[in-house]
Amino acid sequence: MLTKRQNLLETIKGGNPDRFVKQYEFMHFIMEAPNPGGNFPEPGQTIKNNWGITFRWPEGQLGGFPVHDEEHKVLKDITEWKSYVKVPPIPTADEDWAPAIAHAKTVDRNKEFVTVFVAPGVFEMTHHLMSMEDALMALYEEPEAMHELIDRLTEQELAYAKVLIDRLHPDCIFHHDDWGSQKSSFISPQMFEEFYLPAYKKIYGFYKANGVELIIHHSDSYAANLVPFMVDMGVDIWQGVMTTNNTPELIKNYGGKISFMGDIDSGVVDFPAWTPEIVGKEVERACKTCGKLYFIPCLTQGGNWSSFPGVYDTVNEVIDKMTKEMF
Amino acid sequence: MSKIEEVKAMVQSGKAKLIPGLVQEALDEGNEAQNILQAMVDSMSIVGDKFSAGEIFVPEMLMAAKAMSKGVDILKPLFAGQSTASYGTCVIGTVAGDLHDIGKNLVSMMIESAGFEIVNLGVDVSAAKFVEAVKENRNVTLVACSGLLTTTMTAMKETVQALKSSGLTGFKVIIGGAPVTAEFAVSIGADGFAPDAGSAAVKAVELVKG
Repeated sequence: MLTKRQNLLETIKGGNPDRFVKQYEFMHFIMEAPNPGGNFPEPGQTIKNNWGITFRWPEGQLGGFPVHDEEHKVLKDITEWKSYVKVPPIPTADEDWAPAIAHAKTVDRNKEFVTVFVAPGVFEMTHHLMSMEDALMALYEEPEAMHELIDRLTEQELAYAKVLIDRLHPDCIFHHDDWGSQKSSFISPQMFEEFYLPAYKKIYGFYKANGVELIIHHSDSYAANLVPFMVDMGVDIWQGVMTTNNTPELIKNYGGKISFMGDIDSGVVDFPAWTPEIVGKEVERACKTCGKLYFIPCLTQGGNWSSFPGVYDTVNEVIDKMTKEMF
Repeated sequence: MSKIEEVKAMVQSGKAKLIPGLVQEALDEGNEAQNILQAMVDSMSIVGDKFSAGEIFVPEMLMAAKAMSKGVDILKPLFAGQSTASYGTCVIGTVAGDLHDIGKNLVSMMIESAGFEIVNLGVDVSAAKFVEAVKENRNVTLVACSGLLTTTMTAMKETVQALKSSGLTGFKVIIGGAPVTAEFAVSIGADGFAPDAGSAAVKAVELVKG
């Protein structure tokens, strides 16, 4: 039987996996790695992070959101971004990294990938700072200032990447940046190519050049129109691919260049009235239509959990069942 | 190309900075303010269709809405105190517990561009606040509720029920958001549903025209 690591590599390299990869099983997250942005709220909390961005997570709901009324918006005028945006320092002290280093040492790298969760990405940072409307209109109205801001955010990511690599030598980066809604990318491919592709080529290129074997990009959205750019920037696996992308078609067109992880829409199976039957039907459909290679059946949510207890584990159980049927 | 056609084209391509001058030139040429406004409404309808079809993206839609808004600013004084909104007032908000903003704001812009006055209540809006806004504002013909989380569908249902049982009349309720379907809209008693911002404007007019 292949290890989780070997089985993943066989799957994404078009070899001979002996089973379906079960969601996030091959990633061993080192969540103790410090994040320069600081904390994210717990349910029911409102917090201000190290960039000065206020996040609220309403009690009983599924996530935290940046607050963008006039009082809380950090970046009020993109042309003056240098005076509004205070870039937080990268944590470099030994004590900041000690828990993460200790954890990483316990991982058998022959079996699993030491993985760091990096979020938010460059696109999300622009709208967390200034609101989605302002960030998207600025691409038309103040493109030079947006290029400057994106360059600065990219420098920050690269500075963090350097420390991360020095300290942990991660095998895998799981990088969040949502680039679309469920039906469309937020911006056109042309605009993405101009503003965000260069940033990501630098960031993912740096990780790859410094020993990181796997780049996994999370965007639980439609982004089929951006897949050629994902390939170009060095993404190995797009996690979060929703059914609206026609995943089987993407696998047919791009398998071998990039792999796809998802096709089980969290909104469809992970909700208050979820049932094992709904999960079973969706996982079976995903496995049968997407097949054994270049595909990892997974909830589209960006992490190894579900919003409602039992859903994540039930997905794994059905994947095991599909392995018995299909391998 | 006539000035009015130029206004139409520039709204579609989101040239917000050029619109005030072009609208003024169209007026100087003797065009009626109402006809210029209609040209811009028609432009936004095309923008909505293109967005629904995936031909344009959020920034293009935002820029077109901004361009129209700049044009309306020039025309407003000419309506002598009368509203430029021909379909009445739309109260819009994201339901309680949900902080998603952008989708609701896009719908708001498109509905405004179709000829409604907008009262935007923001995000995390309680059912009581929706009802209060219908009471407090003049000529409310439409209430639009947005929700993007499976967990806030309960709040959506409560909001629609509160509006329908409030005793207030003269308005329709439209709902939308990622987990919302036409079947769900019917099941909770909403009058309409739209899958995206472009079709929301079309549906809004259809509901209000009756």
